[in-house]
Amino acid sequence: MIRRATEEPVTQQPTPPAIHTLTLDGEEVSFTAGETLIDITYRHHKDVPNLCYDPRLEPFGACRLCIVELEGANNPVASCTTLAEPNMVVTTRTARLETHRRVLMEMVASENRDIDVDPLSGYASQQMRELVDQYDARTGRFQGEQSGTSREDDDNPFIKRDYDNCISCYRCVRVCAEQEGDYAISVMNRGFDTQITTEFEGLLVDSACTFCGQCIQTCPTGALADLKALANKDVPGETVTTRTICPYCGVGCTVDVMTRGEQIVGVLPAMDGPANEGALCVKGQFAFDFVHHPDRLATPLVRGDDGELHEASWDEALDRAATGFRKVLDEHGRHSVYGVASGRAPTEACYMLQRFIRAGFGTNQIDNCSRA
Amino acid sequence: MNTPTNQELFDAWRHEPAPLLPLLHAFHDRDGYLSEGAMRAIAKELRLPLADLFGTVTFYHHLSREPGGHQAPRVCTGPVCQLKGAAQVLASLDGATSMPCPGRCDDPVPVLVGDKVFTGAELDRARSPLPPPPPDGIDECVFAAIRATARDSIEGYRASGGYRALPTAIEKMRPGELLDLVDASQLAGRGGAGFPTGRKWRAVADAEGTPKTIVCNADEGEPGCFKDRVLMDHDPHAVIESMALAAYATGASRGFIYLRYEYPETYRLLARAIAEAEAADMIGNAVCGTGFSFHLYLRRGAGAYICGEETSLLNSLEGKHPFPRNRPPFPVTHGYENLPTVVNNVETLVSVPPIVVHGADWYRDLGLSDHPGTKVISLSGDIKRPGNYEVPIGLPLMSLLQDWAGGPGEGRSVQAVTMAGLSGGFLAGEDLDVALDEPSIRAKGSFLGAGGIMVFDDTRDMIDVAHSAMEFFAHESCGKCFPCRIGTRRLTERLNGAGPDDVTQWVDEVSDIGETMKQTSACGLGMAAPLITESLMKYFPERVTEHVGNRRGANR
Amino acid sequence: MSNPLVDMDKPDVIFCIGTNMTECHPVAATRIKRAIARGAKLIVADPRRIPLADLADLYLPLRVGSDAALLLAMAHVIEREGLVDAAFIDERTVDGELFLEHVRKFPPEWAERISGVRAEDIERAALWYGTAERGAIYYTLGITEHICGVENVQCLCNLALMTGNIGREGTGINPMRGQNNIQGAGDSGALPNNYVGFQAVDDPAHQKKFTKAYGRETDLEKGPTKVTALEMCGDRIKAMVIAGENTVVSDPDRDHCEHALKSLDHLVVIDIFLTETAQLADVVLPATAWGETDGTCTNTERRVQRLRAAVPPPGDAKPDWWIVSQLAQRIGFKGFEFESAKEVFNELCELSATYHGLDWDRIEHSEYQWPVPHAGHPGTPRLHEGEFVNGRGIFKLIEYRDPAETINDDYPVWLTTGRRLASYHTRTQTGRSAGIDYLLPEETLEVNPSDVDAWGLADGEWAEVSSPRGSVRIKVRATDRSPRGTVFASFSFADVPVNVLTGSGYDPITETAELKVCPVRVEPA
Repeated sequence: MIRRATEEPVTQQPTPPAIHTLTLDGEEVSFTAGETLIDITYRHHKDVPNLCYDPRLEPFGACRLCIVELEGANNPVASCTTLAEPNMVVTTRTARLETHRRVLMEMVASENRDIDVDPLSGYASQQMRELVDQYDARTGRFQGEQSGTSREDDDNPFIKRDYDNCISCYRCVRVCAEQEGDYAISVMNRGFDTQITTEFEGLLVDSACTFCGQCIQTCPTGALADLKALANKDVPGETVTTRTICPYCGVGCTVDVMTRGEQIVGVLPAMDGPANEGALCVKGQFAFDFVHHPDRLATPLVRGDDGELHEASWDEALDRAATGFRKVLDEHGRHSVYGVASGRAPTEACYMLQRFIRAGFGTNQIDNCSRA
Repeated sequence: MNTPTNQELFDAWRHEPAPLLPLLHAFHDRDGYLSEGAMRAIAKELRLPLADLFGTVTFYHHLSREPGGHQAPRVCTGPVCQLKGAAQVLASLDGATSMPCPGRCDDPVPVLVGDKVFTGAELDRARSPLPPPPPDGIDECVFAAIRATARDSIEGYRASGGYRALPTAIEKMRPGELLDLVDASQLAGRGGAGFPTGRKWRAVADAEGTPKTIVCNADEGEPGCFKDRVLMDHDPHAVIESMALAAYATGASRGFIYLRYEYPETYRLLARAIAEAEAADMIGNAVCGTGFSFHLYLRRGAGAYICGEETSLLNSLEGKHPFPRNRPPFPVTHGYENLPTVVNNVETLVSVPPIVVHGADWYRDLGLSDHPGTKVISLSGDIKRPGNYEVPIGLPLMSLLQDWAGGPGEGRSVQAVTMAGLSGGFLAGEDLDVALDEPSIRAKGSFLGAGGIMVFDDTRDMIDVAHSAMEFFAHESCGKCFPCRIGTRRLTERLNGAGPDDVTQWVDEVSDIGETMKQTSACGLGMAAPLITESLMKYFPERVTEHVGNRRGANR
Repeated sequence: MSNPLVDMDKPDVIFCIGTNMTECHPVAATRIKRAIARGAKLIVADPRRIPLADLADLYLPLRVGSDAALLLAMAHVIEREGLVDAAFIDERTVDGELFLEHVRKFPPEWAERISGVRAEDIERAALWYGTAERGAIYYTLGITEHICGVENVQCLCNLALMTGNIGREGTGINPMRGQNNIQGAGDSGALPNNYVGFQAVDDPAHQKKFTKAYGRETDLEKGPTKVTALEMCGDRIKAMVIAGENTVVSDPDRDHCEHALKSLDHLVVIDIFLTETAQLADVVLPATAWGETDGTCTNTERRVQRLRAAVPPPGDAKPDWWIVSQLAQRIGFKGFEFESAKEVFNELCELSATYHGLDWDRIEHSEYQWPVPHAGHPGTPRLHEGEFVNGRGIFKLIEYRDPAETINDDYPVWLTTGRRLASYHTRTQTGRSAGIDYLLPEETLEVNPSDVDAWGLADGEWAEVSSPRGSVRIKVRATDRSPRGTVFASFSFADVPVNVLTGSGYDPITETAELKVCPVRVEPA
């Protein structure tokens, strides 16, 4: 007798969120409950400045640059942490807001060592520089002590920890916790003495860090930077990106490969990659340079009479390969040939190999490496 | 006594609510510091990320990570104690470090050693001084019975009228009626924000989600404020009774008293009172023998001013990094563990039992003219009789200073006072002629807040005072939002001789930073801190010119 | 995977078994971590205390190879406690009554004796999964690389079927595929039993369809698997073409494999490096690598995505499809005149049932998860919604079987093998990427600290590990991640060829090797 666990299975059919409207810069716009004001400004291309905002992370409200005027409120409100409510009247650009934004950018510039960092540092590394320039904030005002202590003692080959350039937006800490789930880094001390750290101020390799590089890619100042990409900063040429899929596991993360000339200089995660939504792991982020390794085969090889493999032209090699198959086919029949395809080659490679075996020899003597 | 093992400590706290702070204190007390091993063990036991736990530990001023650190003396270098010889005390004690104001401004200079506080007047003084009696004809609310014999014991509390409100309310009033009564009294938050208490309670009563929680904010961290200490030291049962009333009104079933680290004696007094109240069924599973249940827990902070901000306090209780939360949502709907929570200041809470006994009209009428109720002022600094005074709202400031507290020292005059501890900045000159009620003080660009007033006579250098005040804010800035984290540091530097040596530029920078802090900071700390520089420039422009100009001379 | 990756943060109970996901599929694991942060319960069953176990609400440390016992007992508890989804069984499955009768034989106490997992923990796991609103199962090679791999998978399917945890958001049976295009390799027909799109070769209709398409008739009879083919090398099999696989290092029983390849008359290897396998070839043909090749691949959630060339290849390296089509033409085969990867892919789509609605241009933005039966179809993120792909879900009556070899006096220790975060397979790629050595400089044998002492080993010192097939020298690492009596190593490092030890048996259906279980002896070296 089959017994029933519950009365009726509860079908989770969430009611679609209600649509409301508010006024954004004089224009009536719609939103769904649960959206923040910054979500709406983004949708309407309002270009509200921000430094601590990463759309993948929980709203945080550190940088205060995304402030907007809200009718009825004395002070401006941070649009990233303010939930939209029906009939709000929101203004994104006023003289007062722009003044505060400029003062904030001057303050941030005053605590930092470098405003200009190499774009190879990371995905968001130019964000602060762009805002400093947009707000004409290289005024030298507010000079004083600078915050953050760089960790030059950290000898890891992937993540530069140049906290002299840190502005304590905590995007790295938040991405490590919320996006990556590693909780390897956190905030030490408080106020101006705040420092991003692992437990007990140790090296990343001794922490829970998995070197996924997410902290690098979300850092808006280049304080956390991609050491492998930066090693290529002297490669001539403009950086071009090409969208493709990571060559490692089966998750299929979308990446943007950065190249200069004929060289891959680094990898960026694709924030809109459907499988990864901006995430990567240590392999996908950093293990790309095998492509240019001197061990790469550049020429066909053919085994000579001496028993050694020798370089050959395609013509020779293909002839030799074809002759071998022809001979076996003639002497032993079509069931003497077997093909093994690779789960790491493109689908076209696998398809062509099985076509070769099936359409060529008329057998099903083909497999791939999935059994190992 | 045997030293407890890790496992014994975990067994004691693991299943208690809000276990992180007590566990940190238990290891800190046991080992004399928080070792790496202790942090690893706690992180594992509570399943907290180790890096997060480490970061959170470093946030608190009083948690030491060096062997012996727990017992190292900490000397108050707050604004009042600086006037009273803090520097000499600090220099004379081996291994001493400075600490922000620990709320002993009426009895300077306090030194905290482990779990004991030593003050200038007496060694290991157990208890706060009682409030001075009010002038004739003045009626008090929260201090009315505080001077009664043995008021801090349950017997003494009962003998002087305590534990009358709670049974009355439970037996004779529905929760809604109690809410109506508190509404009618016009009682408002006495911790500084002044939010109507009845409205807050009603919001929690109406909010969805259980269990609901009552939090007593006893993290009295504002320099110059020590009123909650005297209330808790001498009237701990009033705190308990009022929290039970709040629970009854809102439907809460659990409560926390979040007490600042620097009040170790108060901790012991409260713990004893809670045990007494539990034994007497004033709290626990069957309050006053009814089906109403309310469990009360005492938790101790670890040295962070920002934890007086209610959402930081909640994060701290929950064992999280004590950054303030973004609001809305507010604690009334998303408080402790994201459930409806009342967070009330000590003084606010203890006003409730007398209101229940004497009625809303009685409470309202305590104030002068149309101002309802009373406010406790912690008065300190250059004043003859420092201490806590419960004044009718609307009392003129000068009346408090001169008539109640005896005025400044012989032959001296009042140069300036601070308001709201430090958060209200300075009042000086003609603006000292102001009534002690929030609208009047706000009209002067300041606010009454938690009611700490520090007096500075005409011998004091207001630049030094302002610098010390700003240094405090910089030290206590949590570091979450840019304007406060950078601004408090930049203003401190400018009050300490750095910044432009042209007065106009100096004033521009300080004003620009201040305005942006006031209008864009994420919480009250960053909004309030620039009132120091703003009021300094307003009342003492010549001193500012001199300060900047002197440096200019020195630089050449 | 039955369900898309985005479903991974939606279950309220997650059951991970035989998947070291934080190391092998780190980005997928981030979704699980988000589900946990959101309040989902995580159950992890694995012989090793893998990092995922540290995140678990319930960790089931089972003895290697005892998965079926654990899973049968969980089914037992679910049945006993009345947590069965009767409506789902009635409407969507076959043999439900038989199955529910069958599992009454396997109480948790029975499973505890076999698996070493406490009966109460098995009860708890079953109750959690059985009462989940949305229960999802994730597994990897820890389930399949056994002689009973298929049965293990069927046990998992039974659990999902009996509780109705399939065909809905946040549920499902979700194998995590290990290689970037292992799904595409199967999809493309590089299998001995299926044409492209899983069209069975022994179906005459399919034979007819492909005879027409390819211009030549193919056998109705399935081919041997690779494992069998290696057995037949030098005998029936005389010539082989191996593309992009370092068989010698990645397959079990390395000596046997090497011997097999050497006995061929003709071996052609297509690869990007001169791997251990390529070194045995008569002809080595240089292929373009990732980053140099235009093409497509299909991920573990059946999402068909574009690979794009960003840089030119070194020297004369050529795309695989070009190499094979040229080879075919040289042999004299007709119909191999392809000009581009696009042309190859479009033919594949044309002939595939699952890709039929796709073509090269349509997959530009990675939107489609197969099956996409016709143009205009939105794709199928979630399989088995409303109806199973093959009609009704069939319960299988599984019995527990011991591994091919079990520990004995000569080989008293269980060895299990796997992968590590910073290296990938045989390190042909990660081993040639700068910096990876910093994280993982060498292979080690993970041994429980108590066993290190008991066996006279020392942390960081050498040990000799032997099985009936061979032995390797390897450095010891003392770690609590290994339980007592079980050791672990990866097969990634050529200088520690762990696969000389493995290869005790194969699943009779898939011929997947039992790489996860191998009794060994561990001695100081």
